[in-house]
Amino acid sequence: MTSGIRFDGVTVTYGSNTVLDHLDLTVEPGEVMALLGPSGSGKTTALRAVAGFVRPASGRVLIGDRDVTALPPYKRGIGMVVQQYALFPHLKVEANVAFGLKAQKVPKGEIPGRVAEALEMTGMAAYAQRYPRELSGGQQQRVAIARALAIRPNVLLLDEPLSALDAQLRSGMLAELARLHRELPDVSILYVTHDQVEALTLADRIAVMDKARLQDCGTPQDLYRRPRTEFTASFVGNANLLPVTVGEKGATFEGVTLDVPIAEAASGTTATLCVRPHLVGLGPGPNALSGRITEVQWRGSTHRLYVEVGGHRVKADVRELRETPPLGGEVTLHFAREDAVLLAAGVTDG
Amino acid sequence: MLVHSRTGKWTAWVLFTVLFVPLFALPLLVILAASFSTHWSGAFPSGPTTAHYAAAVRGESLQALTTSLVTAVTASVVALTVGTWAALAAAALGKKGKRVLDALFMLPVAVPSVVVGLAVLVAFSQPPMLLNGTRWIVILAHTVLVTAFAHQSVSAALRRLDPMYEQAAASLGARPSYVLLRVKLPLLLPSLTAAAGLCFALSMGELSATMMLYPPDWMPLPVLIFTATDRGSLFTGSALAVVLMAATLLALLAVSRIRTRASYR
Amino acid sequence: MPTTVWLWALPPVAVLALVFLYPLALVVQESLAPGAYAEVFASASFREALVTTVWLAVAATVGCLVLGFVLALVIAFVPFPGGKAVSKFIDVFLSFPSFLITLALLFLYGTVGMANGIWTDVTGDPAGPFRFLTTPWGVLLAEITYFTPFVMRPLLAAFSQMETAQLEVASSLGARPLRIVRQVILPEALPALAAGGSLVLVMCLNEFGIVLFTGAKGVTTLPMLVYSKAILESDYASACVVAIVNVALSVGLYVLYRGVSRRAGA
Repeated sequence: MTSGIRFDGVTVTYGSNTVLDHLDLTVEPGEVMALLGPSGSGKTTALRAVAGFVRPASGRVLIGDRDVTALPPYKRGIGMVVQQYALFPHLKVEANVAFGLKAQKVPKGEIPGRVAEALEMTGMAAYAQRYPRELSGGQQQRVAIARALAIRPNVLLLDEPLSALDAQLRSGMLAELARLHRELPDVSILYVTHDQVEALTLADRIAVMDKARLQDCGTPQDLYRRPRTEFTASFVGNANLLPVTVGEKGATFEGVTLDVPIAEAASGTTATLCVRPHLVGLGPGPNALSGRITEVQWRGSTHRLYVEVGGHRVKADVRELRETPPLGGEVTLHFAREDAVLLAAGVTDG
Repeated sequence: MLVHSRTGKWTAWVLFTVLFVPLFALPLLVILAASFSTHWSGAFPSGPTTAHYAAAVRGESLQALTTSLVTAVTASVVALTVGTWAALAAAALGKKGKRVLDALFMLPVAVPSVVVGLAVLVAFSQPPMLLNGTRWIVILAHTVLVTAFAHQSVSAALRRLDPMYEQAAASLGARPSYVLLRVKLPLLLPSLTAAAGLCFALSMGELSATMMLYPPDWMPLPVLIFTATDRGSLFTGSALAVVLMAATLLALLAVSRIRTRASYR
Repeated sequence: MPTTVWLWALPPVAVLALVFLYPLALVVQESLAPGAYAEVFASASFREALVTTVWLAVAATVGCLVLGFVLALVIAFVPFPGGKAVSKFIDVFLSFPSFLITLALLFLYGTVGMANGIWTDVTGDPAGPFRFLTTPWGVLLAEITYFTPFVMRPLLAAFSQMETAQLEVASSLGARPLRIVRQVILPEALPALAAGGSLVLVMCLNEFGIVLFTGAKGVTTLPMLVYSKAILESDYASACVVAIVNVALSVGLYVLYRGVSRRAGA
């Protein structure tokens, strides 16, 4: 049995409000797909449509080859972990993990072994006899993951699983999830998050959602280096978005012709140029832009400069400077041709 | 917090004591004192005795106590079952259906108990449901009166129950019946026991409907207290009242012990 | 799917219909006996009972609101050792039947009770001045005593959710306690007061035990009239008419209470 997930034109509405608009997306077997977007973008709705807690107004949801659109949640065979853990407070850790197995009438003799296996995998074996309230947030999240894995699902749905944890625990759990996925290479994971770091770290591919629609989809590197829309560019990593006019050999920004790849963009059209702040250098060089410093932020290993170039604010992250440049001082910035991406106008968000 | 000066605080506390003690504490103390006395014709009761209690645990009084206990337990169990069932069914219905069902089950709270007694009397005094003159008519009326409270507390608890538990269970492959038995009811247990305590206490003290309905061989404690005081035996009545309060308190205490053991968060 | 959901709702509704709705319908039917309404409405005893019931309920509600507000205020905002125990006591108090209060008042203010006893000890006058127990005032005192905790409980819940920072800011700005009560606490407490007040009003309209135990011939309320018509006079038609009037009064108010308390989130 194959284990991928397919959204086939899935639309979800609440009254007259469309919260998910015609989503077409395929998660390959064994793939980690992150659904990344701000709140209200429809990403959680998409996950809940797979789980069966929302019913699409139109379209189909497939798990493997099976159309599950009309199936109740308990017949779908999916594992799910949510932000608030949702551990059953009246059951010990062991019983929480065994819950799904008992509910699905797994033979009694098999249950202890599979519970132990799931707890082992998440490093929670020592806590089997505790109640959820006796565990820390991170431990509760591990139990929730163990509980979802115990039923050996083909599909694992993770809904903001780390956002209730503090920053330090989060990076630890992130590594942990990556390891789990290496141990379970056949499980498809749909990972809903608003945090780009989690998506970039964990996902094989990222689906960027905004305003109930899929905006962009690709590998993390692809989306980061070659974003196709302004929304992707600004939501996945930081970006300078500069309005330019496409010319024969490059693009013009504030009267300066820049040597950037223009690909198929027609000459004379307007477009947006995307350059990552950390790829912007200080001092003269190719594609030089001069401006006045309006703000300087010291960030430990880097300095963030805000430079006003002809009414536009350009951000540059440069290695820590010995001397903080004075506000109002004139500086020159530059960037390499291959670090710039031209976003054709009209592909912008919405 | 509100009053910072010493005199201000003391004024507030004195005011509180002056109002609270005579109005709320004194009545209960007076009943307790009277239950141990034979006379009260001055400032304080006199003639200390335990004879009223000796009488209260014998014959007619003992029978009234067991009558009350049996009535209260039966009514509470039935009310809890029906009320919980109705609350669960209402929660599964749509918004409109839930409103109708909730309103129906709230109605007995608003209808005067005397009228409930009258209605039950009118309905069950004729065949095919001739219950008048039996204990069942009393138990039935008590059940009607406390079901509304059971329903109210359970549906309030259901509203507070986070749907994420139910959904987590469903995602793990649990069918609705399994979710109900293994997740919802255990999580509702603290509220269910609280509701049981409430129902029990209400039924133990029920007088209005009972006065309309009780047959000679099924006389609950409140009725006996009334007949005692009505014929002037105030001290016997007080002793019975203390027994009634003690029984109610004991039941509530037992229930709150279950509650603390059952509350997980 | 929806049909099964409705099927599940059926058994409890059927039970309720059999033991409550159907009997209530019979009461309505009985009250429609020819001339019953006219006869009851024309009788002086009914009109007197109606007036007594309403003014007693309104007066008791006002009394409970004032007293409950003051007491809850002290418990919540002028904390003292034992405050928790007092709250517990109030919870327990609520679980006792109302007629116990009347019984206690007999010992406190009855002809040979504590208050008159003290009077006799002090003045030598064999008959004390307290003879209000068998009048409506005795019922009023008992109702205020018994129902005040029903106002205090929602109030204490509302107060416990109030931010103390608000009070501290107000008093740091120089507001005196009475001003804080009026301008900060009272507005916050209004929903709880409204909910508690309307509940008490309904319960007072329906109160029977207190009036029965008072044993006063002079105090007849609607529930008392239902009882005496049905049980003492076996005049079921009249009893049903009075019952319908009583139900209309209290259900109307109860609907109001539900609306208010839902808005108050109680």
